[in-house]
Amino acid sequence: MAPRPAADTEDASSKPTCRFRLFVAGNEPNSVTAREVLARLCREHLGGRCQVEIVDVFQQYEAAIAHGVSVVPTLQVEGPTGERTIVGSLRDEAVVLAALGLARSGGGRER
Amino acid sequence: MGQMIEKAPTHIPGLDDILEGGLPRGRTTLLSGGPGSGKTLLALEFLYRGGLAGEAGIFIGFEEPLEHLRQYAATLGWDLPALERQHRLFLLGGHLKPDTLVSGEFSLKGLLAAAAGKSQEMGARRIAIDALEVALRLFTEPWQVRNEMHLLNHWLQQAGLAVVVTTRPSKRADASFYEDFFESMSDCVIALDARVNDQVTTRRLRVIKYRGSGFGRNEYPYTITRSGLSVAPISTLGLRHKPLGQKMTTGCAGLDEILDGGYRRASCVLLAGLPGTGKTLLCSAFVAAACGRGERVLYIEFEESAPAMVENVRSAGIVLQPHVDAGQLCILAHFPEAMGAEEHFLRARQAIDQLAPAHVVVDAISACQRMGGRQAAFEYLLRLLNTCKERGITILMANQTASDDLAEISGNGISSLVDTVIGLAYKVDAGEITRLLHVLKSRGSRHSNQQHEYVITDAGIDLREVYVGEGEVLTGTARQVQEARDRAEAQRREWELQAKELELQRLRQLRHQRGEDLARRTALRGASPPPPGGTPGEPEENQE
Repeated sequence: MAPRPAADTEDASSKPTCRFRLFVAGNEPNSVTAREVLARLCREHLGGRCQVEIVDVFQQYEAAIAHGVSVVPTLQVEGPTGERTIVGSLRDEAVVLAALGLARSGGGRER
Repeated sequence: MGQMIEKAPTHIPGLDDILEGGLPRGRTTLLSGGPGSGKTLLALEFLYRGGLAGEAGIFIGFEEPLEHLRQYAATLGWDLPALERQHRLFLLGGHLKPDTLVSGEFSLKGLLAAAAGKSQEMGARRIAIDALEVALRLFTEPWQVRNEMHLLNHWLQQAGLAVVVTTRPSKRADASFYEDFFESMSDCVIALDARVNDQVTTRRLRVIKYRGSGFGRNEYPYTITRSGLSVAPISTLGLRHKPLGQKMTTGCAGLDEILDGGYRRASCVLLAGLPGTGKTLLCSAFVAAACGRGERVLYIEFEESAPAMVENVRSAGIVLQPHVDAGQLCILAHFPEAMGAEEHFLRARQAIDQLAPAHVVVDAISACQRMGGRQAAFEYLLRLLNTCKERGITILMANQTASDDLAEISGNGISSLVDTVIGLAYKVDAGEITRLLHVLKSRGSRHSNQQHEYVITDAGIDLREVYVGEGEVLTGTARQVQEARDRAEAQRREWELQAKELELQRLRQLRHQRGEDLARRTALRGASPPPPGGTPGEPEENQE
């Protein structure tokens, strides 16, 4: 499955983007939730400056093995604070934001 | 008879016997054991040996880093990377990195997808999941754990693989519920137990259940050897024992006579006695005679080193060094405490496999209790005896008894397997010590029932002829005294006899003389000769 392009293209200010790789398992509830949350966070806090790759483990098991993914959903983030891994449906958004180095109210700023 | 379930052989020595073939295909086997019990090893060995036999397998580990596993396997002489390259083995890590954050619920589907994909790609037939309880600790709620278990179980059943899951029995109160779940989802449950007995580690394996199959129901000792796991089952006693063979010399001429020829081949001989009664000498005499005939002997020694033993018997004229040098005599010398009973037994069995001896000597079985208790000693001896009996190997056992009590030597439950029992004892009498040998039992041959005196000379053990005098067996000085008396008595009778002879001669002479006198008188008178038999008034002579 080809990576889906970001919701918005990068703007000319060339602020660094966050790259996300989300491992999901088809349309199971946790995976659906994770995709929704991620999309919303990207819109609201990163101004769309993100690159999101969705990997379905049942269709691309080799990728799952290659990235050492055993639980689903797993979100791998390459952001300003380095590489982080978050597992789960992402319904606890504070954790995700903290991982991205973003304050809850703010958005798009680097630390 | 119903249909046999399909089984995947483990190829682990001894285990397939107990499992009557192997682990169930398409079903889950639970290996439960504490730290150091070898469950990860067993799981890995199941895949490794399966891989060598052509069956691909996947190992999912939650605890050990995969590279550690490969290194550990290398110390056992297993080349895992080679199997991996041949796509017969795949190691999959289920660990979460330590700095992983958690947000919301998740499941192990990632792992399942990987396992499913790989399994299909490789055509895998076996799968091992190590330390499943570690994976389940990721989930805080019992219902989550249950979900995961069902998920896993469902996939495993569909996949039709032979599954091995290892888990550690937990002391936590809430853990028992998923242990129950593990047990109920498994068709076969094996418990591995490593315990310490008298400061020595003993390992026992027990098949707790095996749905759809017969299995060995006892506890079996197992050991972790240099090349993997090894289980030693007790095979059915007595049913495969070879019959007793021809007689052969005991190495001691006097003893051969007492036993009407010697020991029988393939028999079990027990030499029991206090320290210093010469058991090692008797054993060595036998060994020297056997090696002299070109036969090989395995000597299992528990008290001295091999060179010390050889030197000590040399002083009694028994020369063993040339046989050691020629490779006919193999001495296995270890302190009993040096390792557990299972390992002692496996070393002995390996030595027997390699040397293919005609005879085995164990010196002394009394030392075996130091292997970790009476039970350990008993099992060691039983297995060793059984191995020898099955292969038709003669086994000589020396037993050091702490007292003069004869009952002590035939105890320990092995007496039914022992064919010949020889007791060696001291007798203190009239200020001197005499050594006595007594055959208590000799299945399959006649033997003398008396006590025999023997001495240890520098030409070996010398058995004296039995002295029976005045209705009792005598030894030592008493014997010499009685022998002297007997000689004196014999002499006296001899003289008596001579005296009577002389008397007889004298009387004959007298009669002859009287007869002559009478003839002369009669001739002078001119009367008729007297009737034969003498004249009345003359005494009748006794004709001798």
